Amino acid sequence: MKPAGPILVVEDIVKRFDTPDGALTAIDRVSFDVAPGEFLAVIGPSGCGKSTLFNVIGGLIDGYQGRVSVAGETVRGPHAALGMVFQEESTFPWRTVIENVAFPLEIAGVAKAERIERARHFVALVGLAGFERRYPAELSGGMRQRVSMARTLASEPKILLMDEPFAALDEQTRLLLGDKVLQIQQELKQTTLLITHNITEAVQLSDRILVMTYRPGRVKRVVSIDLPRPRTSEIVSSDAFGHYVAQIWSDLREEATRGMQDAEAHSRRERATP
Amino acid sequence: MAETGRLTRAPALVANPVMLLRVGLIAAVLALWQTVSVSGLLFRDVVPSLGAIAGALARLLVDPGFFGHLGTSALEIAVALVIGGLSGLIVGLALGANRLLGKAFEPYLYYLGPTPKIIFFPIMIMWFGVGPGSKVAMGVISCFFPIALSTAAGMRQIDRVLIRVGRSFRAATWQMVSKIYLPAMREPIVNGVRLGFGVAVIGTLLAETKLSNRGVGFLVINSYSTFDMPRMYALLIIVFMIAIGVNALVGRLGAGRPHIKS
Repeated sequence: MKPAGPILVVEDIVKRFDTPDGALTAIDRVSFDVAPGEFLAVIGPSGCGKSTLFNVIGGLIDGYQGRVSVAGETVRGPHAALGMVFQEESTFPWRTVIENVAFPLEIAGVAKAERIERARHFVALVGLAGFERRYPAELSGGMRQRVSMARTLASEPKILLMDEPFAALDEQTRLLLGDKVLQIQQELKQTTLLITHNITEAVQLSDRILVMTYRPGRVKRVVSIDLPRPRTSEIVSSDAFGHYVAQIWSDLREEATRGMQDAEAHSRRERATP
Repeated sequence: MAETGRLTRAPALVANPVMLLRVGLIAAVLALWQTVSVSGLLFRDVVPSLGAIAGALARLLVDPGFFGHLGTSALEIAVALVIGGLSGLIVGLALGANRLLGKAFEPYLYYLGPTPKIIFFPIMIMWFGVGPGSKVAMGVISCFFPIALSTAAGMRQIDRVLIRVGRSFRAATWQMVSKIYLPAMREPIVNGVRLGFGVAVIGTLLAETKLSNRGVGFLVINSYSTFDMPRMYALLIIVFMIAIGVNALVGRLGAGRPHIKS
């Protein structure tokens, strides 16, 4: 499984934020590594700091302790080896699909003809061939999220980081897009780190799942998913799949409950002090 | 691109009820005008006949002297728009980019913005003289405010995630500005320029009606004081037409992409 050592190493990351109620530890000594070609999901309840982790690894937030290294080299700040796909709507509305996907190549100074050619390949890869000249507003939410994914893939990152890319989509679209991700991963042997709160999605896509605790976010358990590849969304009806989902839920349940109680206590306090 | 063409192409008049209503209103106003004019209900010449106005319009359009005045006004407005627009853009960008500056200074813009600028005209005359300088200055102080305010607001409305996308792809500062900030702000900026153009015309022409011997504003007030009503209406029609044309032109620049419904 690990031919040449890990490609991404995350070591003892600690990130604190200053809030009006004092310092808040968002993530606490989180360490893990990702092998080349591996698909790793980080799962946790809301408030476990998983988006913070995504931004720390992607280099968009600083002021953390610990170390992120790619292929043995310490990285701090945005790095060409790391491609980020965001949770929010992030296509450029003034650019067509092909211009959106060509964006990172444009930034890197690739000549126009070549970048359009390369972008075309990634548009087709996410299944949007024929939509190259459409604007994002003319597409569905699921299609736009695929544009964002194609755009990041076009930068040919060593590691693809995705922060709940399908969170805003309905369950069926999400499963079908999961198929697309599996297919792309098969084709590109793309090392991927997926941040999610969706257990089905995590089991459907991953080789390993890292379960995080509720605030402060720590690594609670790492689960290896030994489901055969290539997979499709049909795997969700297998016994083994159900077993993994149940196992991860039993780990997550406690954390999610704590998160919920915390949120309730918080709103009770808000009401008590008008 | 093909879609935009289809939307803006003027369809056949009869087939389009919207167009029919628009043309109908103009026809009705003209008919009413002509009726009032021939009825003699109002003072003679206050509502001149359509024929008289058309005649005055034709005389103006062949008069080289008129184009001299028109050129003066156009130049004053253009210079005002360049000076006021650029300074508005720079101030707006600074206020939008810097939270502290925005918080400190934007209230000034909000309160000064809607103040009728004509009250500054005496000051402008003292500073810049009775010639075109004071007219340009009136145009500048008129268009500066809407452009600065809408630029600042536009900067703040940029979707933060688009900036994160740019950073994640390691875009340089100039790339962030040219490929993300400016395209994302195109609509508010163009809207600001549009509003700015409108008030620059008002400021400049109003100043011309007060104290000057050149420009379209001067011609209007001159026609009024010599009671040449057909000529005055003809001038108004020309200003009106030019304003519509420029507005349409600026609007075309700002025609943004369809918005994503969220």
